[in-house]
Amino acid sequence: MEAVVYTCLGLMLVFGILAVMLHSMLKSAIALAAASAALGVIMYELGAIWAAIFEVSVCSGLVTVIFISAISLSNTDKKDLPKLYEDGKRMAFLPLVLIISGILLIVVAISSVSSLPVPTPVAEVADNFREILWNHRQADIWGQIIVLITGALAVAVLFKEGELP
Amino acid sequence: MSEQIFESAILITGFLLIISGCYCLIRTYHMIKIIIGIEVAMKAVSMFIILSGYISGNEDLAQTFVITSIVIEVVVAVVAAGIAINLYRKYGSMDIRNLTKLKG
Repeated sequence: MEAVVYTCLGLMLVFGILAVMLHSMLKSAIALAAASAALGVIMYELGAIWAAIFEVSVCSGLVTVIFISAISLSNTDKKDLPKLYEDGKRMAFLPLVLIISGILLIVVAISSVSSLPVPTPVAEVADNFREILWNHRQADIWGQIIVLITGALAVAVLFKEGELP
Repeated sequence: MSEQIFESAILITGFLLIISGCYCLIRTYHMIKIIIGIEVAMKAVSMFIILSGYISGNEDLAQTFVITSIVIEVVVAVVAAGIAINLYRKYGSMDIRNLTKLKG
């Protein structure tokens, strides 16, 4: 289990950084989808099966489709992108920032590794998830419904075909 | 000890992803790239919630929170992509500096 999680953590980090750094928006969207897929595997290995299914199907699938649709609707020439947004110059320091942050985080982790909590054994929870989601977290369900309706209305308003006064 | 190293590895990866996402938010002007930066940071947050559930043994509650955060993440992405497309239709680019020219 740990080998799979470590591999997926590495993949997620690499694809996450690529998603941020690549000039091509299409490649960025695909790298983000790959990072989502790696996160889905990590969630599955940590026992969060339903969250993993949502992560892979929604974040890795639906969000990528949304990004690719948005990119295809904006036909900016790929060669002009670095010139227009100066991403090359602006993102050049990210690897340096990440290396320094990584070293600092490793030092902090080594100094505090003994104070981290030890995981408690996980019980069999297939029915409990259903019970928690539908019975104990009803406010979350209503919140999700309201957020979805708000999103749908926002998109409807954004793409409204109206005449200018 | 190996469990604590395992947790540390997840925490370090998550923090590096949050730093990448925030750096992208600060440094880029492309609207789609900004949404991608938000998504990258949100992935790390989802991973932290799942890790907290794994540590406490209360994974079901963590899963419900992650599902809620995924729904919010998708709606944010959809609305922001809609704004980006409208921005492109209006100004011919997705540069967020154009947003300051909008009126109303």
